[in-house]
Parts: sequence; C-alpha cells; structure tokens
Amino acid sequence: MATTIPLFASFKYADSLTVVGISFFTALVCEAISWILIYRTTSYKSLKFSIDKAAKKLETMKTENPSSKLTIKKSKTKKIDRVESSLKESSRDLSLFKFKSGAVVALVLFVVFGLLNSLFEGKVVAKLPFHPIAIVRKMSHRGLKGDDATDCSMAFLYLLCSISIRTNLQKFLGFSPPRGAAGAGLFPMPDPKTN
Amino acid sequence: MKEAKSAKLNHQDNNEQIHHENSHLGSFKLAKLFDSEASWDKDQLGDVLHWIRQVVGLLCGLIWGAIPLVGGIWLLLFLAISSGIVYGYYALILKVDEEDYGGHAALLQDGLFASLSVFLLAWILVYSLSSF
Repeated sequence: MATTIPLFASFKYADSLTVVGISFFTALVCEAISWILIYRTTSYKSLKFSIDKAAKKLETMKTENPSSKLTIKKSKTKKIDRVESSLKESSRDLSLFKFKSGAVVALVLFVVFGLLNSLFEGKVVAKLPFHPIAIVRKMSHRGLKGDDATDCSMAFLYLLCSISIRTNLQKFLGFSPPRGAAGAGLFPMPDPKTN
Repeated sequence: MKEAKSAKLNHQDNNEQIHHENSHLGSFKLAKLFDSEASWDKDQLGDVLHWIRQVVGLLCGLIWGAIPLVGGIWLLLFLAISSGIVYGYYALILKVDEEDYGGHAALLQDGLFASLSVFLLAWILVYSLSSF
C-alpha cells in the first residue's frame, strides 16, 4: 500500500503526485548516470563536435548553387559522399558510446518500474478526462478492474512522465543527441547508391 | 610539419566551438525572438520552437484541467492551437523560409511528441486532483 504525503492526503488521486515525483527523481538520477559515464568525457565532446561540424558542412555543400560544369559537379558529389560517410561513421561511434550507459539507465528504469508496480498494482492513480482509443486503453487500463475507460493505471502515467520529463530535461541540460546524428543508429539503412 | 599545423588549428577551432557553446545561452537575446530580420541557425530555431511547444502544452494542460474540459475533442483542439502558434511564429513573426529548415513538416514536428505528453500529463493531473 502506498503512503501519501499528509499535505496531499485530501486529494482522492494523490498517488498520481507520488508517481510524478518518483519519475522526476528517476529522470534526474538517469541523467546523472549518463553524465558520469558519457557526457563529461572528452571523447564524447569531440565526437559530438565532429558530428555537428560534418552536418553543417554537408548542409552548406548541398545548399550551394549547383555548378553547370560537369567536372566540378562530379568532384562536389564525391566530396559530399565523403562527408556523408564520415558523418555516418561518427554517428555509429556515438551510438556505440551511448550503449554503455543505456544499459545502466535501462536497469534503473526497470527497477523503478518494478517498485512502482508493487506500490500501485491494481490501483487507479488518476482519472482521464477523455475516453482513450483501444490501443491507448490497453496501457491506461493495465492491471485495473472494472470497465470504466477513464480510470488511469500507474503504467500510463509513468509512461507520460518519462517521455515528457526525460526529453525536456535532456534538452534543458543540453544532453539531447545532435540533430545531425538523428536517424543514424547502430544499424543504419543501407545506402542505395552503394548497391 | 603541415599536419602538425593543421592539427593545432583544428584544436583551436575545437576550443572556440566549446567556448561558443558555453556562451550560447548567455549571448542569446530576447529581442531576437521577435526580430524578422535576424538570421537563424537550424538548431537554434528548432530549440526555440521546441520550448514554445512545451510552454503551450503545459499552459493548455493546466487550463483544460482547471476548467475542466472533458472529451477527446479538446486534445485535437490543443494540437490545432499548438501547431497554429508554432506556424504563426515562424511564418508570420520570424518570416523564415521553411525550405531552408527542411520544410513545414520538420518545423512543425519539433517537440510535438514531448509537448503532447506534457499536455496530457498536466491535463490528467490537474483534472484528477481538482475534480474529485
């Protein structure tokens, strides 16, 4: 059974505040772990710098006026290809780099989810002001009894918290991945040009 | 010799960039937010649009929950308002050419998912706490 802070005890759904508080604290802990394992290292900084630089270079190269001379055009495409491949390589390195702390963060999130589950299992922690669609309902009504679709389980609230708090916290602290690396993960899409 | 020189230059460049990033927030001027003549970096514009969306999401969530508004239609209204504000901001106030920043879709989806979850969280929390 969850214990609620006396100040909020008058609310029927005071448990929702506990869920939000715990997920905010977890997000802070996760970012601290990531900072210790990744962001403070010089190799991460230089990798991020090179990705940003390559992405900007690529952008300016692509937006420059296309030249009419065929030879210049050919050398330019070659250059673009070279920058593109180096960008892909750096992005892949960055993803590998993040893998290490990703595992630790996943473990922390898993443990916290388990803790919250044991605290609020089968309990309605909040009330939804709308009737969710079937897919969302599976998550929002997870482990709850009764047919009231507006009942909200801990899992849905925790999901919302982790998306909103973590994304914005990362953005605020400047830890979000560089835009140039977006979409280039561990398993990049095959390049049609090389086939 | 040449390589050493270029490595040194690269290192200097690196340091300058890090210094530039550190002073990035400090040099950011509020007046630029409403200046249609100002030139925008793709990252900077993306960040500004992201935070506008988050603030709109939070405010709408708090208001919707406090009134309280009930029903899925209000979720759609929020999406319309939020996208309208972002579009109005970059197209009418900043007057940027969207093609330079990856088109309307790229600008409009910046921070959309995060703001939707901020909105839902605020709406659900305020509604649950104030109406029951």
